[in-house]
Amino acid sequence: MVNSNRKNKYADIIFIILVAAGFALIIARSTPFVGLIKNFVYYVSYPNVNAANKIFQYAGSFAENIKSVVYIRQENLLYRQKNQELTDKLRNYDIVMEQYGSLVKLLDVPKMKDTQSVFARITVREPNDWFQWLIIDKGSEKGLYQELPVVMLRDNGQLCAVGRITEARGGSSKVGLITNSLSAIPVEIKDKKISCLAEGMGSGMLKITYIPLNANVEPGDEIIASRYSSVFSAGMPVGVIKSVSKENSLDFKTALAEVYFESDILYEAVILVPKGDVK
Amino acid sequence: MRKAISYICFYAFFCLLQFFFGKYLSVNGIFPNFILIAVIYLGFTRGRMGAQTAGFAFGLTWDAFSTDVFGARTLMLTVIGYFAGMFNRQFDKDQIAAQVAAIFFANIIYWAGFSAIYFILPEGSGNYEPFAVTLTGTLKIAVTVIITPLVFWVLNFASAFSKRYL
Repeated sequence: MVNSNRKNKYADIIFIILVAAGFALIIARSTPFVGLIKNFVYYVSYPNVNAANKIFQYAGSFAENIKSVVYIRQENLLYRQKNQELTDKLRNYDIVMEQYGSLVKLLDVPKMKDTQSVFARITVREPNDWFQWLIIDKGSEKGLYQELPVVMLRDNGQLCAVGRITEARGGSSKVGLITNSLSAIPVEIKDKKISCLAEGMGSGMLKITYIPLNANVEPGDEIIASRYSSVFSAGMPVGVIKSVSKENSLDFKTALAEVYFESDILYEAVILVPKGDVK
Repeated sequence: MRKAISYICFYAFFCLLQFFFGKYLSVNGIFPNFILIAVIYLGFTRGRMGAQTAGFAFGLTWDAFSTDVFGARTLMLTVIGYFAGMFNRQFDKDQIAAQVAAIFFANIIYWAGFSAIYFILPEGSGNYEPFAVTLTGTLKIAVTVIITPLVFWVLNFASAFSKRYL
């Protein structure tokens, strides 16, 4: 009796599984391709008009499906192409927007007396000479010549010293940076009236020399161009003191200063040209 | 093992009879539904498990060899096998009236179920009209019912023979 009940229980479970499988077959139904093959096999084993009709019906449906697949593929290719075009346009748009932002920033360049600003794009920067020099896309054709000061606009809207033109050609100029190891510009500590010299070190730092031994110089002090500078106008920000040498020296002490111009994002420069020289 | 072989032989015999010899037995497209008789016979003699499994296998094969909605026969023969199995040992399978009645009702269930499926999924029906009582359909049921005692007798004989000599 117990055995029979167990058998019946198994039979019920198997029945549910089989019915579910049957329903699944009906719900899933066969795709036109499968239907076509199935009907073809049927026709081969048992040829009749109904099977032939079904074959044509499925073949038509199959062909329709193939056609739509081809169309979809074609459309997909077209959309992919469009997508690529739009992506390129978007990329260009981003570049244009970036340039626009830079140009808008350059419009805020403070006006300086008796000088005119010439905006130039940096075209060449050699990685090996990153802190030594660069090339800009304006030259003598625009009235640029040697020893003109090159500055850049900082985020706070102030100009800061970058370098000076060392060579000017027709459509380009070479700019020697203030960080160049051959560069030395007279500077002073802002608000302290302490004159000293900022020498390039071939890195992002400047060596501030000739600081009087008793001068009160501390990290954080701002370095500005001195009135003795023949290139930069007096008061042009140059950098900020990072450390002061603790070595005992007889006459002077030295300090290390970081330049203000951000070397990594230096894409445009401003050349300050005396009025009348600009062509 | 012997049981499994006997089931396979049973399955193969009825498949051949229905799918390959059916066309020779057919008169104007009317020929008996041997598979339905086989499923009912299994239900009466072997119970639910054997009948529903055989119904599923027969239905699946028939679906594969037909142009109708795939799965319709599988479902119907499984259900019929299950219900036939419920009457296992409750009917006298040797009684012709019981055989005829069982096959008749099984045919009605088969026709109703098939019509219901085609009513819900009309796309595979072709010329078949769900729930339509046609002369051909009626004759098919009649032929199946008429031939049932003969098929049962043959199967009983084969069963007795195998028990005795195999």
